[in-house]
Amino acid sequence: MSTLSRLNRGETTIDFVGKRRRWFTISAIALLISLAGLGIRHLNLGIEFVGGLTLQAPNPAGAEVGEVRSALETAAVGDATIQLLDDGEAVRVTTRELDTPAESAAVDAIAGVTGSARTEISIEAVGPSFGALVARRALVALGVFLGAVALFISWRLELKMALTGLAALFHDLVITVGVYALTGFAVSPATVVAVLVVLGYSLYDTVVVFDKVSELVVLEEEKTFTAIVNQAMNSVLARSLATSLTSLLPVGSILFVGSFVLGAATLGDFALALFVGIAAGTYSSIFVAAPLLGTWKEKEPAWVERAEWVQRRSKSGRR
Amino acid sequence: MTRRLVGLFIILAIAWGGLAAVLAFDMSPRLGLDLQGGTAVVLEAPAGTDPELLEVATDIMTRRIEDFGEVQEPEITVSGNDTVVVQLPGVEDEQRAIEAVGQTGLLSFRPVLEVIPGTTSPLAGTGTPGIDDETGLSIEDDISKDAYLGYSSSFGDEVLHVGPAELQGEDVDEALPFFDTTTGIWTVTLDLTPDGGEKFAQLTAEAAGFPVGDPRRQIAIILDGEVISAPSVNPDVRPETGISGGRALITIGSDAEAQQEAQDLALTLRYGSLPVAFEVSAVQKVSATLGTDSLQSGIVAGILGLALVVVVLLVGYRSMGLVAIAGLTVFGSLLVALFGVLGRWQGLTLTLAGVTGIIVSVGITADSYIVYFERVKEKIREGLAVEDATEEGFGLAFRTILTADTVSLLAAILLWFLAVGAVKGFAIALGLATILDIFVARAYTRRAVRALAATSLGSGGWFTIEGAAR
Repeated sequence: MSTLSRLNRGETTIDFVGKRRRWFTISAIALLISLAGLGIRHLNLGIEFVGGLTLQAPNPAGAEVGEVRSALETAAVGDATIQLLDDGEAVRVTTRELDTPAESAAVDAIAGVTGSARTEISIEAVGPSFGALVARRALVALGVFLGAVALFISWRLELKMALTGLAALFHDLVITVGVYALTGFAVSPATVVAVLVVLGYSLYDTVVVFDKVSELVVLEEEKTFTAIVNQAMNSVLARSLATSLTSLLPVGSILFVGSFVLGAATLGDFALALFVGIAAGTYSSIFVAAPLLGTWKEKEPAWVERAEWVQRRSKSGRR
Repeated sequence: MTRRLVGLFIILAIAWGGLAAVLAFDMSPRLGLDLQGGTAVVLEAPAGTDPELLEVATDIMTRRIEDFGEVQEPEITVSGNDTVVVQLPGVEDEQRAIEAVGQTGLLSFRPVLEVIPGTTSPLAGTGTPGIDDETGLSIEDDISKDAYLGYSSSFGDEVLHVGPAELQGEDVDEALPFFDTTTGIWTVTLDLTPDGGEKFAQLTAEAAGFPVGDPRRQIAIILDGEVISAPSVNPDVRPETGISGGRALITIGSDAEAQQEAQDLALTLRYGSLPVAFEVSAVQKVSATLGTDSLQSGIVAGILGLALVVVVLLVGYRSMGLVAIAGLTVFGSLLVALFGVLGRWQGLTLTLAGVTGIIVSVGITADSYIVYFERVKEKIREGLAVEDATEEGFGLAFRTILTADTVSLLAAILLWFLAVGAVKGFAIALGLATILDIFVARAYTRRAVRALAATSLGSGGWFTIEGAAR
């Protein structure tokens, strides 16, 4: 039987818990690269977080948003927000902090495309729109959310599942943020939203996987916890792969087609977080959360007893 | 069988009909600043304003704009040293934009010294400086001095002669409307800061020293020289202590307008005071920040991605994939319709992030189908007949879907209450998508798969439910 059809029938026999060293090594390497990226390259925070400059110019030539953007990109000023004021009578460009030559290049580019004189362009510093207070409130919300989720999963499933689920979530978070540091993609409020989607997805996926484990714990009275986790993982593997595929296809399409081929950079920043996060979320549910849970629970007295009993029985059975 | 089919058609009709109705009644979702543009209000603070105060003011403005429920996801930036630019998505009318920003300044609590019936005070015609000679009312409201202010109470037009402010907006910690279900009366609960609590006790102690019925038992709540409310101190408040403990109840009443009145008063008390007195210096129309080219490429990419999802569902789950695809259009239609209705009622706006979020949520919602279909396959392999497998599989799958969706819903509710701006917009989208997911699974998916099992697409060939399990 081919691997694919075994996968489809939930009959694969991958040892998820036993081979945990392999999975944990892969995760550790990914985490280390992410943390190193964060430490060395730092995040490229967007104008919304750190502020920048606004340049405002009259627009006698009637330039459109797209024209202004390409003029600025030619002048090597990327990541700018461009707005037309009062039906195109004036143009407002918001960019990150620019040094003097870059500012001069930006002014030239805007003057050229709008048909205005350089002296008519006003330049002013702008503060962040996604200020410290907004960010702080989002962080508080996140903290409360994680606490509530831990309580809910502890109540609905069990405490150790809640904690390993949160460990997997943290794993996904570090990797997603690390990819931003490494690629240098700008972090915008939309990205923050995307990261929240990732957190939600990571937990959702872990809950689906653990739900299967808790179902089998009731049904399988003659198996060790490790065997139950392995069985549960193998039977949900097809669903996990199918789900990540249906979630990743639209995101991947927006990331690759939208931003690289058709050139909508704004979409790319957003889609990258989703793509990396969802991929990491699927991986971590199966290869991080489940083995962690298996290793941890196997040490409980009741499960140690079960393991010894299974071992004795298999010996006597062989005799 | 026919009854099931009727139920199924009703669901499809509601979803698709709902979308059509929303679009027909011109309630298509309201688009955010990046997609549609809106109106910018430029506010100037007095020169030399502390930058930290500006930040506090922008924070209060954000919450106030979102709480008044007219416009969501405004973008507020501090520009230069003393200019604040407030961009409001989807607002076309300049007057409405200014109202939404509400450049109200000072909230003060002041003792009432006397109440004069009518609309003029005895100072009319005396030529007193700072007093309008015709009406005798104060022209400029200086909160450190006495003032004569017009007020229309339930007894008719009055002029209140009030003393200097003893408390200001910053002394208010929280104010909430409250409905007492036993008495049927609307009140506003007022919580003060520790410092404000002491000042309030002092102010109410002075007022309680006057006999019941004396106008001087009243405390005037004044916003920018306008009397918002002038409640009296209750008869049981003792003049030695006043209202202590930093907490007070303002009784509004039980008539039809009481609810609105209580809500408005609570909002005014909570956010009424900005620490900075802004002036509107310009109102401009602003265009979308994204060109139509970006929007189009995003939509093209999204549709392409969804087309691939369709292929995966058909190959993986054969005829059940058809149910999922129709179901995803039900989900998508209901979601867009809800966004349209909420855009009209709550000012909910769809930004590019929101649009992408919907596309992604369709992908993630496919998971509910996948969880279910995998269960059906499992049951068929265990030897159940196709129709029984679809029934038993649903019970097991729904449990999982419910648990996982509860986590998402928890996230949505908490983020909605605690966060502001783009994150709040995301919370609404996530919450709606999750509730719809549960609803669609329960009302549509189960019926549709049962109906499918009874047709020739149930068992037999490759493109059947049975075929997916083999």
